[in-house]
Amino acid sequence: MPRGEHLGEFEELVLLAVARLEGVGYGVSVRREIEKRAGRAPALGAVYATLARLEQKGCVRSREGEKTPMRGGRARRHFALTSLGASTLRASREAQERLWEGLDLGRASREP
Amino acid sequence: MTSGRPPRLATWLVSRATPAEDREPLLGDLEEEYQRLLAEEGPASARRFYRLEALRALGPGLTRRLRAGFAADAVPHGPLPGRGGSMLDAVRLDLKLAARTLLRHPRLSATVVLTIAVGVAANTAVFAVVDAVVLRPFPFPEPERLVTVGTVIPKLRQELSFFENLSPAEYLDIARECRTLERVVAWDMGNRQVAHAGAPENLFSSFFWGDAFTTLGMAPALGRGFTADEIRRGEKVAIVSHRYWSTRLGADPGLVGGRILVNGAPYTLVGVMPRNAVLYGTELWLPMEVGPEVFPRQRRQFQVLARIAPGRTLDDVNAELRALTARLAAAHAAQVPEYDGIRFLAHTWNEANVRTLKPAALLLTGASVFVLLLACANVASLLLARAAARGRELAVRSALGAGRGALARQLLCESLLLSLAGGLVGVGLAALAARSLGTALATLPLPITLPGEVALSARALGYALLASLAAGLAFGLVPAISASRRDPSPALRAFAGTTAGAVSRLRAERLLVAVEVAGAAVLLVGCGLLLRSLDQLNHVDPGVAASELVGFRVTLPVERYDAAAILRFFRELEEQSAAVPGAVSATVTDQYPPIGFSRARFRVTGAEPRSDDELPSALLTSVTASYLRTTGVSLRAGRFLSEDDRPGRPFVAVANETAARRYFGGPAAVGKSFEIGSGERARRIEIVGVVSDARNRGLDRPAGPELFYHLHQDQGPANQYFVLVRARVDPLSLVRALRARVAALDPQQPIYAVQTVRQALEAQGLPRRVASSLLLVLTAVALVLAGTGIFAVVSHVAASRTREIGVRMALGATVLQVRGLVVRQALVPAALGAGTGILGAVGLASGIGGLFFGVRPFDPLTLAGAAALLIALAAVASDAPARRAARVDPVAALRVE
Repeated sequence: MPRGEHLGEFEELVLLAVARLEGVGYGVSVRREIEKRAGRAPALGAVYATLARLEQKGCVRSREGEKTPMRGGRARRHFALTSLGASTLRASREAQERLWEGLDLGRASREP
Repeated sequence: MTSGRPPRLATWLVSRATPAEDREPLLGDLEEEYQRLLAEEGPASARRFYRLEALRALGPGLTRRLRAGFAADAVPHGPLPGRGGSMLDAVRLDLKLAARTLLRHPRLSATVVLTIAVGVAANTAVFAVVDAVVLRPFPFPEPERLVTVGTVIPKLRQELSFFENLSPAEYLDIARECRTLERVVAWDMGNRQVAHAGAPENLFSSFFWGDAFTTLGMAPALGRGFTADEIRRGEKVAIVSHRYWSTRLGADPGLVGGRILVNGAPYTLVGVMPRNAVLYGTELWLPMEVGPEVFPRQRRQFQVLARIAPGRTLDDVNAELRALTARLAAAHAAQVPEYDGIRFLAHTWNEANVRTLKPAALLLTGASVFVLLLACANVASLLLARAAARGRELAVRSALGAGRGALARQLLCESLLLSLAGGLVGVGLAALAARSLGTALATLPLPITLPGEVALSARALGYALLASLAAGLAFGLVPAISASRRDPSPALRAFAGTTAGAVSRLRAERLLVAVEVAGAAVLLVGCGLLLRSLDQLNHVDPGVAASELVGFRVTLPVERYDAAAILRFFRELEEQSAAVPGAVSATVTDQYPPIGFSRARFRVTGAEPRSDDELPSALLTSVTASYLRTTGVSLRAGRFLSEDDRPGRPFVAVANETAARRYFGGPAAVGKSFEIGSGERARRIEIVGVVSDARNRGLDRPAGPELFYHLHQDQGPANQYFVLVRARVDPLSLVRALRARVAALDPQQPIYAVQTVRQALEAQGLPRRVASSLLLVLTAVALVLAGTGIFAVVSHVAASRTREIGVRMALGATVLQVRGLVVRQALVPAALGAGTGILGAVGLASGIGGLFFGVRPFDPLTLAGAAALLIALAAVASDAPARRAARVDPVAALRVE
């Protein structure tokens, strides 16, 4: 893994959500994405704490967005995946797939 | 509405907890979601979401901030940031270190916290009471501009009075001529029987001439105030107190606009006052106007209320009043001779009502400050002892590069943490104390009615915070300064115990013993003087059989009783009352000691009125022939009044000894006469007897002159009288039967003001009594603090001298000699402290002499008692450590350390 970065489970969820939102993700949309896809609604504060950590690790970068009255005149902070982030995610997935190979635990209990 | 904006507290919490770089986007996100939910699901759901998210943001946010902080705290005992890091970081680190250190010594910390808690609790509880009773007793807005006008009439020997002190003409003079006052209203007080459904009840009533509601700045809570027309025409409209409305009218708002019966006549109830509207316990508010022609200038039964005009001050008002009284004296001196030298003095309403309570409030506040001081001294000695033990820790830190300032700052942080924790516990204790004090005060007949309950207001909490911060600084400063002065090298080389630091510490500890004893001495002397005063008061002979007498009052409505009917009613009531089982005799009177409303000016027949003399005046009391037999006042000369002193017979009166001595030549008074009233009402009255003095102005003042006449000789008798009944059993046990006798005569007449004469006398001394019980508690606390403080100091000193004691014993010192040595260490500073404290107390006591009665501040008995008690306390507190020191095994002691 480049730079030896290791992702926690929640970090991975957040990073994936950022990747899916294609460069325009911010706190609320990241949270909504996780809620929609993973079925859990993390606290916004936790999302931000994680994003800060990911940014420190170099997996995401952020830029300031527009200020809207809906937000009490405060700017959004948009997060985008860095190439390091992308390769970390890929590495993580590959590692998982290698571990899953040949393993059959039956169908997940969650119905599609 | 608030729903457009997210909850403020939650926003604040988030912004505090979140690191700066995430603050804006996170708050923006939260608000965005909030606005969305607000539109989609409504305000409740949006707020719930926001608050929940705010709470959930605290954990991650604080963790990140702490982690950032810990990075700076990687070497906890290394040099403190202070030059490199920001000041805030340094303080945060100090606090963290302090908290850790304190938690490492839980027993010591708990002792300190508890000690401070006691001090803060005493201060906060006393402040809460003083605030509720003296500083802000009334709920009226802008209390500093609400004034009343008092009078001083030197010619009548009348001291400053705010009560029934102005006549209608004088009120109009003030209202019309004073530009510095506005909204001036006059009011009178009385009693009315009020009924809605059921038996009438006596209500203490105030009659307002003018719009009192705008003056007070307090409108009725329900309904309206009186209109100008209603006041001018004296219409039958009434406003009742919140208490009456809620307890007797079933709190029914629908009754406003309806009828109630006042003295049997129908009145329209136009309003209900707010719960906290307190004006001498007025239950019924009525409009009234009195033409100045009705009452002569000398008939003073009103008081006034006014607001200081905008841009003016109380001094301006008083300057204008001085000019007014000068004009009055010039214009009316012939008819109203007492105008010579009269003074009108405006006071704020608060000041006028609580000024008699101020000395007690001051005394208690001062006493509680002393208790805090003692607590601080105790804590300082504990921390000083520990600073010695920590000498090496501090020396190591200082050697590693911590500056002296940094060390001192850390010690100060510890002190402040301790004092704030103590303050927190203290506030809890104070809340309990204030609640029970409030309950106790509410049941006492204090001179002013408390509008609310005694509770810990924001002001009291602020006071508690100040007290704890001051305490933290006070007891933290000494060890902090001594730490910042310390030279680390000897502490590193040698062990504590025999170094130079130890010597100066010993000196500091002796000083603390002296301070503690001095503080306790001040309280002890104050308390002693007050208790001696109470004792002296208990030994004052009231001049009447106070404990055997019960009094009650009946006010007959003039609408239904003419003069003859009133006299018949009371004659009948007197007979019936005397016949109640257990009663010895009964009398009817319009006042009895210490209650004196009715006083009058008179002229001694044959005496040349000299203009520079005071004008003769006396309490003028109408009684029945059984007054002497009932009250226990005894005849000194001549005869007392009899049933033969009827209308149509010569007017006669009886003087008390003071009146006889002051105005009628003492023993020769019988046969002299005086003239009273003017014009048609003027009459000449002969003195037929002299009776013994009773304490008619309260137990703490000598008897004033008093003249008695038979109420049958009153021209146009009053409609309200007291009945005094002397009992051979507990007088209050007669009340039920007495009530029944009144009801049998007229079921519409309630009795009120039921109390024994002893109770009436004691009610006047109540502030002194309350103050002394509270002071007793504070003094007990102070003595306990001083005792434990001395014990701790002496224990520590003895322990640090173990080696020396061992040497002495090895050289042949006896156990007694060693004990003496240790106890002397405490006794010398204790004696010095006691001396200083007692001298200080005498000085302070002279400053608040008004509270004391029958003792001078330099009361040898009290002072000697206090000194003996304090020395004994010091001896007892230091004896246990002395015994322990004397049990030291010399061999072991020499091996110590």
